[in-house]
Amino acid sequence: MGVGPPDATQRPEMTAHAGPPDLYRASSVEDAVEELARLGPDGEALAGATWVMRAPIRHERFRRRYVSLGGIEELTRIDPGDPTVVGALATHTAIAALETGNGPLGSLIEAARTSAFLAIRDTATLAGNICTVFPEADLVPPLLASEAQVDVASPAGRESLELGEYLVSRGARPAGEVVVSVTVPAPAGRRSAYERLTVRGSGEFPLACVAVSVDLDDGMVREARVAVGSVEEIPRRSAAAEAALQGRLLDVRAAEQGGLAAAGELTAREGLDAPGWYRLAVLPALLARAAARLV
Amino acid sequence: MPMQLQINGRQYEVDVPSLKPLARVLREDLGLMGTKIGCYEGRCGSCNVLVDGLVVASCLFPLGLAEGAAIRTVEGLGGEGALAPLQEAILSHGGVQCGICTPGILMTLTALLERSPSPAEQEVREALVGNLCRCTGYHKIVGAVLAVAAGRPA
Repeated sequence: MGVGPPDATQRPEMTAHAGPPDLYRASSVEDAVEELARLGPDGEALAGATWVMRAPIRHERFRRRYVSLGGIEELTRIDPGDPTVVGALATHTAIAALETGNGPLGSLIEAARTSAFLAIRDTATLAGNICTVFPEADLVPPLLASEAQVDVASPAGRESLELGEYLVSRGARPAGEVVVSVTVPAPAGRRSAYERLTVRGSGEFPLACVAVSVDLDDGMVREARVAVGSVEEIPRRSAAAEAALQGRLLDVRAAEQGGLAAAGELTAREGLDAPGWYRLAVLPALLARAAARLV
Repeated sequence: MPMQLQINGRQYEVDVPSLKPLARVLREDLGLMGTKIGCYEGRCGSCNVLVDGLVVASCLFPLGLAEGAAIRTVEGLGGEGALAPLQEAILSHGGVQCGICTPGILMTLTALLERSPSPAEQEVREALVGNLCRCTGYHKIVGAVLAVAAGRPA
């Protein structure tokens, strides 16, 4: 007997079925789709496993079988360019290694670089970040602000859909669906930045986070895309913040007003880590910090 | 079904459920007690091991994902009867007190030095964010890493 709370192999009541859950290593995307479709609610895709393995802590039951996507080469690939296609199983570490600076992928790379800590960044994946329902997912706001598409495979074939649409439908996705990649528009000249707020320096979920993506003409904002995470239950774009930035010189003052506009538009969740009003109150400062990196 | 594991260059066979955390397999089924379990939530870093060169919180890593991979634990760091330079440095700099966090810290820092042989102090501190130590205050550990990077482990 070891230390720590029981895991799936030691607490049969944590599973909905007789015996501990098992793991199936899919040989291809099509194989994973077929197995997950067959399992229905008894199965779930497994990427880095950092979320699934903590199911007992969240008092959640394990599924009967997990379908591991690890080892499917297509899912770990990152194809840079415009658009950049990031495989579902790209880890935070792999994304963080893409480039530096504040180009079109800058916010995504910064989010990957600063999230959690090394052992999680080396293991946790892009798909885990967008398929798992948790408000603090660092990679989601940059992808929303980039107007990324989610590429999925299912028994019906392959299709792409808007990330925002995918996020709000996560509770009702078809059985057998697997996220294959995310396609991120990355036109030359676009600039983006990400800011997250934690109580300590790092190693924590953000209390609030923002991603800003802009197209500039001589410092003036031609188009702005702003996404906010960790404030509402599901990260989302802020049309009010975008309108506040549009057509203006991108400076700290404009960014603060964008943050105020976002705070007026969002309904913040309460939590032990921070009250709702605080998540809203910090948005002007976060947007200002993001803007300061872009000018 | 039995699974083959490659740990520190040796082959092992285990027959346990595939979702059993690797940390527990190492300690309970293979007798490799160097890897410690602290929080069991992937937050403290004491169970960190390397899997194909990646730093992994082995309390959250299912055995089934480790099959076929090259696993490295603290037992594999030094040679026969000898410590690795990083271990020597942490010892000589006074970077070990109660020792519970030490194996995980060693594995994190081994990965850091393999990726970045001459890290800046800030880089070392950032790498250690996920390794909690309640005794040393980190200064001596950071000093040890910088000494190894400078070729002065002792």
